[in-house]
Amino acid sequence: MNRQPLIIRKQGWLEFLFHRPNVHLASFQTISNYPRIWIISIMILAVTSLAPLVFTTVINHQLIQKSVDSELVLQTDRVTSNAKRSMRFFLEERLNALQFVVNELPYYSLIDNEHLDKILSNLKLGFGGFTDLSIIDEDGSQIAYAGPFNLEGKNYKNQSWFIQSIEKDNFISEVFTGYRDIPHIIIAVRSETAYGRHFLLRATLDTQRLMSMLNSYKTNVHTDIFLINRTGVLQTPSTTYGKIFTPAPLKVPPYSDTTHVIRPEHPGKNGFIMGYSYIATEAVTTPFILMVHKKKSDVMGTWLNLGKTFNWIIGVCCLVMMVIITLVSTFMVNQLYLADQAKAETMLKMEQSQQLACIGQLSAGIAHEINNPLALINETAGYLKDLYQYPDEHRSDQETSELLDDILEAVSRCGTITSQLLGFVRQFDVQISSVNVEKLITGILSFHKKETEYKGIHVTTAISPNVPAIKTDRGKLQQILLNLINNAFQAIEANGCLDIKVSYLPPNKVSIEISDTGCGIPEENLKRIHEPFFSTKKDKMGTGLGLSITYGLVKKLQGTVRVESSEGIGTIFTVTLPVRNRKEGNA
Amino acid sequence: MKHIDILIIDDEIKFADMLGRRLSLRGITCHACYDGQSGLEWIKTHPGAVTLILLDLKLPDIYGTQVLETIKEIDPAVPVFIITGHGTREDETACLAMGASEFIHKPVNIEKLTTLLNRPRGEGT
Repeated sequence: MNRQPLIIRKQGWLEFLFHRPNVHLASFQTISNYPRIWIISIMILAVTSLAPLVFTTVINHQLIQKSVDSELVLQTDRVTSNAKRSMRFFLEERLNALQFVVNELPYYSLIDNEHLDKILSNLKLGFGGFTDLSIIDEDGSQIAYAGPFNLEGKNYKNQSWFIQSIEKDNFISEVFTGYRDIPHIIIAVRSETAYGRHFLLRATLDTQRLMSMLNSYKTNVHTDIFLINRTGVLQTPSTTYGKIFTPAPLKVPPYSDTTHVIRPEHPGKNGFIMGYSYIATEAVTTPFILMVHKKKSDVMGTWLNLGKTFNWIIGVCCLVMMVIITLVSTFMVNQLYLADQAKAETMLKMEQSQQLACIGQLSAGIAHEINNPLALINETAGYLKDLYQYPDEHRSDQETSELLDDILEAVSRCGTITSQLLGFVRQFDVQISSVNVEKLITGILSFHKKETEYKGIHVTTAISPNVPAIKTDRGKLQQILLNLINNAFQAIEANGCLDIKVSYLPPNKVSIEISDTGCGIPEENLKRIHEPFFSTKKDKMGTGLGLSITYGLVKKLQGTVRVESSEGIGTIFTVTLPVRNRKEGNA
Repeated sequence: MKHIDILIIDDEIKFADMLGRRLSLRGITCHACYDGQSGLEWIKTHPGAVTLILLDLKLPDIYGTQVLETIKEIDPAVPVFIITGHGTREDETACLAMGASEFIHKPVNIEKLTTLLNRPRGEGT
């Protein structure tokens, strides 16, 4: 009867992954797919614990980026504004000095070269940055000159700066090389002689000084400050965009009175931001645009490095957490598996012992059944013997023959019962066979014959003629029906009814309906009757395992049990079984 | 030897008859009833008629223990022997507690039974 040796318990860590499936235990296990539970548990734990961490990190990163960005904009804006102010002051100061010279001194003293030399040296002393001075009349010819170059007698009539400057009171030129081949800026103021003729006081400014003034605003190597003209040609050398007089690969920013900061549209790895300002003095607009170029990545280096370190820490944390999560999940699922396994093993043991108890019950019933004919044989044979022991008794051959017939009949009654018992017990060993449900039920009911007679129970069996023989485990089916019919008999009071109905549900199902007119099961117990150890017969020595084992057995036979009950009216158990047992049918 | 009159209550008619006949051969007068109800009726209508009652447990109408109880109500002095093919240990304990004198399992050894029946009452079991 012991079909399966029980599993030997090894407390491995990954037992739930590498266990050998056991058909007998499986039907008692609460969960069938432990690896799936394991993976789901790891995933849920990982998502719930890591998601907030990752989310916070991303948000934090974005916030840092934003604040660094705005800090950079502010910084660039400040540098641009300061440089612009200095540049404007530089030009205004020199323009005003020239204005002062023209207004203060008469024309004749201006055209005196010696005097002009003196003025130049004074200007150099007072302001610095002047290279030379000259007076040019309205025809473009140079009247007087003071400076290091020999430019006397030159005519500028056709030079564009001259044409522009003779039209206005004040003039500031772009940077150009001119006759002397050195980059310089011309500033000029226009005035009139006593005879009403225009003349220009022109000064050449040293770009070197302008450049060093601008460079003083470079806070670090990542900042580039330079000038361009309104067509985008570089007016001072740029570390980013190349040499002087080359066109910078930049879009000339739109005109504005104030300082602006532009962000490039596609900030990549070489992201940068650009501050710009059009330079204009109160008296004259200049052709210059001041540009401040700041490389983002270099300025943000510290922050980016910090971010990288942070990311590393988060990464290591995530890894450690994943390891812990995996270990914890594995441990928990394994414990769950072991507990479930232990429960299933206990249930299997219980099933086996209940099967033995079932057979014990049967044997007792049969022994009682046999005792009656045996007692009759005993008395009849004893009486026959008495007839010879008490010679006074009259004895006839006919009576003797009748008495012997009684004995033979009683013996055949015993024979029927023993052969029934043998057949029944043998069937417990057979695994899969073709089972005639009708015969099985008749067999089981025959053991309850006496009880039905005593209690006056009315038993009806209705078996549809088209019910096929089902391929199943006869022993298990027998145990199921025995349990249910025993339960019914226990529930039925005197003069009750037990109806057994068997019908065929095409194509592959047979349903066995066992209904009794017993005490019924209260609604609140109905949901619990299949639980192990749930019993309402505690005082009558019920173990509470009968129905639980019945449910387990039906599940093993791939069938289902349905129960309907109303208190005081009766209970109907319906067992539905497949005609052909899929898994075991192939075995 | 004192004359003994007994009543057999058993639903196995042939068994009861045979036992009756055999006991008669041994000088014991027997009456037989085949269910609990008629047995009780007989006792009521024949008070003091029997010296002992043989009672089966599984009867078609009333369970043996109940019959025993009623007998003890009607005539507490009359000894009752339970004679059964179904008796469990629980039944035995219950019956002895309710006043049965003996609990005998079927099949019965006639000589032992006769000895028991002939044993003077009042000595206990």
